Amino acid sequence: MSDHKIFTRYKANEIRAELQSFEVKKSKVSANKRKDGLKKIIANLTLGNYNEMAYLAPEILKFWKIEDDLEVKRICHEYVRSFGIVNPKNTVEALPFILNDLKNRNEKIQIMALKTLVAVPSAEFIDEASRIIPSFVNRRSVPPDVTRTAIYALKRLDEVNHDRVVECLPFLLELIQRENVDPIIHVAALNTLNSIHESNPNLQPLKLSMETAFNSLDLLQTLNEWDKALVLDALTISAVPGSHEDAYEMIDIVLPQLQHVNTFVALNAFKFIAYLLNYVDSVNESLIKRFSNSIISLLNKPPELQFLVLRNVILLLLSRDVPLLNLDVSYFFIEFTDPIFIKDTKLECLYLLANEETLPRILEELEQYATDIDIQMSRKAIRAIGNLAVKLKHHSASECVTALLDLLEFGVEYVVQEIISVFRNILRKHPSEFKSCIKDLVKYTDSVQEPESKNAMIWIITNYSDNMSNYLQIFQIFSSKFLEETLDVQFSILNSSVKFFVRDPNPKTEKICMQMLKSCTEDSNNPDLRNRAFMYWSLLSLAQTDKAHLLSNESLKNILDGELPVIELNTKLDPVILEELELNIGTIASIYLKPVSQIFRNTRPRYLLPSPALNKSRGQLKILHDTKNWNNLESLDTLHEDFSNNRSDKSAHKKSMMNDYDKPAETVNQLKGKRKSSSTSPSKLSRKPSMLVRKLSIRKPFS
Amino acid sequence: MASGVYFCDIKGKPILSRRYRDDISISAIDNFAPLLFELEEESSVIPPCLSHRDVQYMFIQHEDLYVVAISTSLQTNAAQIFTFLHKLVAVLGDYLKTVEEESVRDNFVIIYELLDEMMDYGIPQITETKMLKQYITQKSFKLVKAVKKVKAVARPPTTLTNSVSWRAEGITYKKNEAFLDMVESVNMLMTHQGQVLRSEIIGQVKVKSRLSGMPDLKLGINDRGIFSKITSDVVNDGEPSSITSGKKKLNVELEDLKFHQCVRLSKFENEKIITFIPPDGDFELMSYRLTTPVKPLIWCDVNVQVHSQSRIEIHCRAKAQIKKKTIANNVEILIPVPDDADTPSFKYSHGSIKWVPEKSAILWKIRSFSGGKEYSMAAQMGLPSISGNEKPKFKRPVQVKFQIPYFTTSGINVRYLKITEPKLQYKSYPWVRYITQSGDDYTIRLN
Repeated sequence: MSDHKIFTRYKANEIRAELQSFEVKKSKVSANKRKDGLKKIIANLTLGNYNEMAYLAPEILKFWKIEDDLEVKRICHEYVRSFGIVNPKNTVEALPFILNDLKNRNEKIQIMALKTLVAVPSAEFIDEASRIIPSFVNRRSVPPDVTRTAIYALKRLDEVNHDRVVECLPFLLELIQRENVDPIIHVAALNTLNSIHESNPNLQPLKLSMETAFNSLDLLQTLNEWDKALVLDALTISAVPGSHEDAYEMIDIVLPQLQHVNTFVALNAFKFIAYLLNYVDSVNESLIKRFSNSIISLLNKPPELQFLVLRNVILLLLSRDVPLLNLDVSYFFIEFTDPIFIKDTKLECLYLLANEETLPRILEELEQYATDIDIQMSRKAIRAIGNLAVKLKHHSASECVTALLDLLEFGVEYVVQEIISVFRNILRKHPSEFKSCIKDLVKYTDSVQEPESKNAMIWIITNYSDNMSNYLQIFQIFSSKFLEETLDVQFSILNSSVKFFVRDPNPKTEKICMQMLKSCTEDSNNPDLRNRAFMYWSLLSLAQTDKAHLLSNESLKNILDGELPVIELNTKLDPVILEELELNIGTIASIYLKPVSQIFRNTRPRYLLPSPALNKSRGQLKILHDTKNWNNLESLDTLHEDFSNNRSDKSAHKKSMMNDYDKPAETVNQLKGKRKSSSTSPSKLSRKPSMLVRKLSIRKPFS
Repeated sequence: MASGVYFCDIKGKPILSRRYRDDISISAIDNFAPLLFELEEESSVIPPCLSHRDVQYMFIQHEDLYVVAISTSLQTNAAQIFTFLHKLVAVLGDYLKTVEEESVRDNFVIIYELLDEMMDYGIPQITETKMLKQYITQKSFKLVKAVKKVKAVARPPTTLTNSVSWRAEGITYKKNEAFLDMVESVNMLMTHQGQVLRSEIIGQVKVKSRLSGMPDLKLGINDRGIFSKITSDVVNDGEPSSITSGKKKLNVELEDLKFHQCVRLSKFENEKIITFIPPDGDFELMSYRLTTPVKPLIWCDVNVQVHSQSRIEIHCRAKAQIKKKTIANNVEILIPVPDDADTPSFKYSHGSIKWVPEKSAILWKIRSFSGGKEYSMAAQMGLPSISGNEKPKFKRPVQVKFQIPYFTTSGINVRYLKITEPKLQYKSYPWVRYITQSGDDYTIRLN
């Protein structure tokens, strides 16, 4: 039977009648019918039909008693769980049945009962749960799956009965330290312990001994993918290396996990290593390479994960002066088929990656996007070019400006609007360099439409009025339609007209200024605008009258037409926040780039625990350029070539013959000429994870 | 940790839900639909992660469904959640064939069971279909009355707690075979002039294992990173076959290898050997990426001339820049045309061309395209005589699709695949296939 029939609203007595009619007969058919009836109850609960279904509690209890079938049990438990949340009192009658199920010999049913027990937020349930669950955790004879469920149940219990759970914590810690515990229990205990410590700010942060941490890491091999990632997650922060050697050792163990196909594992391995880097003094360049490669390959995942990874790339680019990533810009070029949120994020990455070296390629790309068919995209690209001009030094900025001027000729309306808007920022950053562009910009005065670009245009005209002979004429385009403009444009017009007058008092400027002051005070409905106009008016008249000694012309100019500070784009975040975010790689916080504590005051923010090996600042990490390995690799290559040259026919070795299309061609018109070396260095020593070797080995950073 | 997983219809209304933790209210999901709606109104950008009153909504879209996970903490690992949601949809796909609103409604019981089994307190558990299928079967309606039988049915397979959590014990096949597919997808971004802006090869090694017992597999490929040691060993031994034949050493360097969870990563790290106990059935053993520059395999020289208000002319020359003996199959070249173009007329020597108005493009299909050949076509379409002031500009790129069998662009190939089953010691047959195809982004930008 399809579930579709089940998935419709029923009345309670309809279902009851159905259940009763099949109650007596013991045949298979009627048992199936009964089950369908029960399923209808659950379906109706999902549909939100709580009121009707509440009448059926006695039926559920009846079947709970007589049926031993797993599916019926499942339905009964589901019923209690859904109702327990809505109306905890009604479910108390089911408590004895649940307790009875806990004693069932079937693991599945035990697990079900445990879950139900903690799902219902009523006093009776919580009391029972507080009594029973710790005993389940403690007992050794319980099957591992049940123990694990019980351990996870502690997490839930912690939300309602914290004191009882605190008593269990030492035992959990012991479970982690004990040898020969089933790996899944180990993970469950570690994870539960960690999250309880994290969600209760009154507890000290969890700190594990090195030995325990290594034990957990040794288990990585045997765990399934989700548990692997959980271990790595829990060990971040809680495993505090006592020395640089410990940290190097742990990095070595975790490094292979970067190659896991599951993004969750790969990112958590990444996070753990990034965390450990705070406890070492230097790393080899090859590690940076592996980091970068693993991040890049995560970009080939579904869009949501790609988005997450890109946001984390932003975080990593921001977080250190010498970034942990060395990425080629071409990976962040926008594809036609990318969803918009990815395009946006890629633009941000491109912006952050831009420096003098990469700028030409990035600009070329951005210019492409600026003429994109999608208006939003086009605007954002122009905005990005503008921001780059503000971010970068003179020479690069002028490249950006040239690009913008090229685009201006394109002449499409929204492109012009956007370019005018960004130019204001560029001119505020580089006030004197691009004066020659002003006249090109002013040509478009007629076509600016949006408030922001109008504001920008007015600002440009006002500040560079010296460069134009006819600035008043241009300005009148705006001032003549004063009353039709939006409020912020009106403000700009008013300010500028006053500035013109103060700078160069002559009949023309006075006329415009008076006109504006009048319109503002007489025709405008906005009190703020009116007040501003009155303020200007009284200032001006004060300077004009005989009380001029109170306000000299100089100070009047300073007040009305003062010098603005040069703007800076502030992309840097607070180092404390960055530290916290770096410990939260892959989490939601990393998407928003906001610290957890800002939003949830009751969770403790993550921070680095002290240790003798801890770096004082994150800039302290040195990256060693490993030339030795390169040579090895190179010599290996030449070795190969030597061999083949000696032994084989020479003609076969001419470089890429004409029909040799499948070979990577040497003379492709490729923009990036960088040669990538293999992600792993061949001369790496193999290490055994046993304690003995660990103790005896004398370590150098990544020899 | 997810506090709940929800299946919502296209409007964001919940169809099915499973709450794992108590920290969210039942009505939390009801805010999802208005949130979506609001964002759609506001702008076209809807990120896969929304936040509303301290509740975080993370979702993926699949067919006409939103699969949403809700959480309350910013410390929740988004990587975990997105990976899990994708996995969930994949598993449901195995169970229900298609995952859409209708099929979700039709199978809610089994989905509930799966959700129960795949996640526990918001922590993902078993997500391998093969393992789940052992005790969640599609036909779970059978009556199992006797207590003894219940035990037999309900007991989770012992393997769940084994070290090999992805393979059950006691699998038997009459004929033991393993199929290896090496698939390489080429992504390229080229300018109109033939300048390669970006090229990458994404390779996948897919395995279909039909092997009995607990086989241990060892895979050898000609990656330089992996095999440099071994090839030099061979040379030292003076083994004649690889040298005197005059074969060039096809040692390829792979970047960013990613392995399925069954591969022993530490073994690979230390000894550069890929060894694994495969799960039963289909799975992706590994993937890799290469950024070595390659020539465009299929190159198209597209020339578009727009005579505004009258017609548009398109000339396209396509060339298969591959070895003479190899053949590219199902080549499809999608050339964008303006939305308002009409009355197409085509001239071409090979394949077939049609106008696809719903994509505003013309599609040129060539069933088989031998290496070194060059074909061309010309198209002409009318443009409406009245038009707005703006000149017709279409920045969409030309997209090319193709498949090239028996060939890998990177030159990677399988040296050996050894299968050993210590207990059963059967004879087994490994099969290997190679194919190169266009990736999602094999595009040529137009001017």
